[in-house]
Amino acid sequence: MNCVELQHSLAEVEDASTAEQRAHLRTCPSCAALVKELNLIASAAGDLREADEPSPRVWNNIEATLREEGLIRPAPRHIPSSFGARWGTFGWLVPAAAMLLLSFGIYLHQQSTKPTNIIARQAPTYAPNVATADLNDEELLQEIADNSPAMKTQFEENLRQVNESIRDTQGWVRESPNDAEARHSLMDAYQQKSMLFEMAMDHTLP
Amino acid sequence: MTEPRQQSAKEFNEAEAIERAKHGDAHAFQALYDKHKRRVYSLCLRMTANTAEAEDLAQEAFLQLYRKIATFRGESAFSTWLHRLSVNVVLMHLRKKSLPVVSLEETTQSTEDESPKKDFGAKDVMLAGSIDRMHLRRAVDSLPPGYKMIFVLHDVEGYEHNEIAKIVGCSIGNSKSQLHKARMKLRDLLKADRAVKAGRSKAG
Ligand SMILES: [Zn+2]
Repeated sequence: MNCVELQHSLAEVEDASTAEQRAHLRTCPSCAALVKELNLIASAAGDLREADEPSPRVWNNIEATLREEGLIRPAPRHIPSSFGARWGTFGWLVPAAAMLLLSFGIYLHQQSTKPTNIIARQAPTYAPNVATADLNDEELLQEIADNSPAMKTQFEENLRQVNESIRDTQGWVRESPNDAEARHSLMDAYQQKSMLFEMAMDHTLP
Repeated sequence: MTEPRQQSAKEFNEAEAIERAKHGDAHAFQALYDKHKRRVYSLCLRMTANTAEAEDLAQEAFLQLYRKIATFRGESAFSTWLHRLSVNVVLMHLRKKSLPVVSLEETTQSTEDESPKKDFGAKDVMLAGSIDRMHLRRAVDSLPPGYKMIFVLHDVEGYEHNEIAKIVGCSIGNSKSQLHKARMKLRDLLKADRAVKAGRSKAG
């Protein structure tokens, strides 16, 4: 293999790994340098992958178009992200909270199999009152105030937010009882509330 | 459905963002955009070497993706899906402009320009150490479109030759040969760049 042949062979075997290629490279410093430089270029190329940032105009246009086309929808009020962030520190409570969720899940499933029932029963009776049946919001707050007074304000605020979110999504489910997204959002809201109760109960344990 | 909100608000959970985007959540769309915008835009910019065109193409790629997001079931990675779609958007654009996506040259033919003897008077310059990103960017910008496409897909984006052949509609051999020629051309361009710089610093 001579220099010209080696260069042509690189198109087929770019890492110069064949026996013939290696034999030539051992005896030819200039081809060896060439292979090294081509490898250098190939590995430097990865730096260009996320090298540039688009101007804000791009997102602005995308967002405007998504709204126009109805892909961005005005959602029911969300629980502020700071609320979500506070959950993060209580991640170890999750298994217990999941138990509570199971009962919500069963309830929702029963409801979803008979949507006419939901319409017939109308508003206030729709809510699966697992939480309020077992533990009243006020009672819970009282418990917290007695056992963990420092937490009371935060729990009060969290409860207010989660109840608001449940009310919003209940309204949505009422309007469109067969909307899977609506039920999904309601599940989310109940999930938040169940975790809140779980967290609170833990704080009130002696 | 029992997946709890365990992660902190700061940590980006792509799966959750996708679910929320399916429900029409503006923040989720934006979070997905923020995560992937640099890669998509850089791809478009490398291929077009024109910021306005690249922005239009990046916008188009995200919009096409978002319109289909409800069909995303997560069997392939979201980023794979997005980048493949972005490549298609760019390809369509180049074809509309009648730019050769792959060079029409015979793969076995070596033109004088690519002959091993040609050296651009930069014979002594060696590419050693690291290659400056600015210089490489400029060199890639000045590649002929046919070379550029394969180089960007393979060396920048990390596609394999068989994938490139499918995406671009050429043979695997063609893809390999174009890549080799692209790297050779870049080497010449980078060497010429260094030679000019070396000349300047000697003079000054
Ligand atoms: Zn040689």
